[in-house]
Amino acid sequence: MDEASETPEAELVARTQSGDARAFDELVLRLSPRLYGLVYHMTSSHEDTNDLLQEIFAKAYRSIKSFQGKSAFYTWMHSIAVNMTLNFLKRRNRHPTMSLDDVDNGILDDPDFIAATSNSDPSSEANLTELQKKLNESMMKLSHEHRAVVTMFDIQGMPHAEIAKILKISEGTVRSRLFYAHRQLQNHLKEFIKQ
Amino acid sequence: MEHDENISKLLRLKRYEQPPPEYFENFLAEFQLRQRADVIHRSFWKIAWDRLTPHFTMPPIPRLVTAGSFALAFIALVLNWSFPKNSTSSQQPNLASVSTIVPSTDSPAKASSSVQYVLPARPVTYASARSF
Repeated sequence: MDEASETPEAELVARTQSGDARAFDELVLRLSPRLYGLVYHMTSSHEDTNDLLQEIFAKAYRSIKSFQGKSAFYTWMHSIAVNMTLNFLKRRNRHPTMSLDDVDNGILDDPDFIAATSNSDPSSEANLTELQKKLNESMMKLSHEHRAVVTMFDIQGMPHAEIAKILKISEGTVRSRLFYAHRQLQNHLKEFIKQ
Repeated sequence: MEHDENISKLLRLKRYEQPPPEYFENFLAEFQLRQRADVIHRSFWKIAWDRLTPHFTMPPIPRLVTAGSFALAFIALVLNWSFPKNSTSSQQPNLASVSTIVPSTDSPAKASSSVQYVLPARPVTYASARSF
């Protein structure tokens, strides 16, 4: 396992392309937490994320021979994940149901969480549930495209240039989508934002 | 058009929403199971398609050669169906049998030896029983 974790990603990709399924398993282990986050924050559903992530990796495995290394493998995988999730969201549009993951207790010590909830109820658990619910509801009110940009930039911390590559749009469009998404979110999350 | 830092800080808290720690180990096991099931239940046409598609990505000249070979093979197959070989060979025995029935004038001895029911000048059926 240690040896595998030291293997460069490019080598794992090359081995997968020549038929080594175990190399792809290692790529799944490495990339799944990050791709899970991307899909989960776009769908707000654990079950949908699980199914989609399975399909995303299956599709990547089937078409890995077409990956020519022009971009990072990570970028290529993100492109597949975002496109498949956007297609899924367009189909699911009518009855979105939230099934949220548990919030890690580490949040209680996060200064941003303390700052956001300092004005309201002193009970942290209640604040936590309320904040999680409110954040997810606000995200679901954004358009799919705006949500994708917010997920990658604000939650996953990706730079504008990387997001532009993944979505095949200009950096200007990324910035513009972020601006409008933030403005919309500000209205929904007023109570948690300190002016 | 700079982003609002307060909103970003708040959204960053969503990182704490995570599946249970064992989820990703189980995820890989589930992925492997699904992949195997997919291979087992894959239809004949899907397998054929997967094997054929790499040929479509060949450079143009070999692709033309391949297409030409397929076309020629198809034409040959169609021609073979339309004009089967045994249609000419099946006519041969008829011709042979006709030639044996027609009495040969060149070599009567040979003809009489091979055709038993034909007299040198007159067929048997023309002969009247009362004519002497």
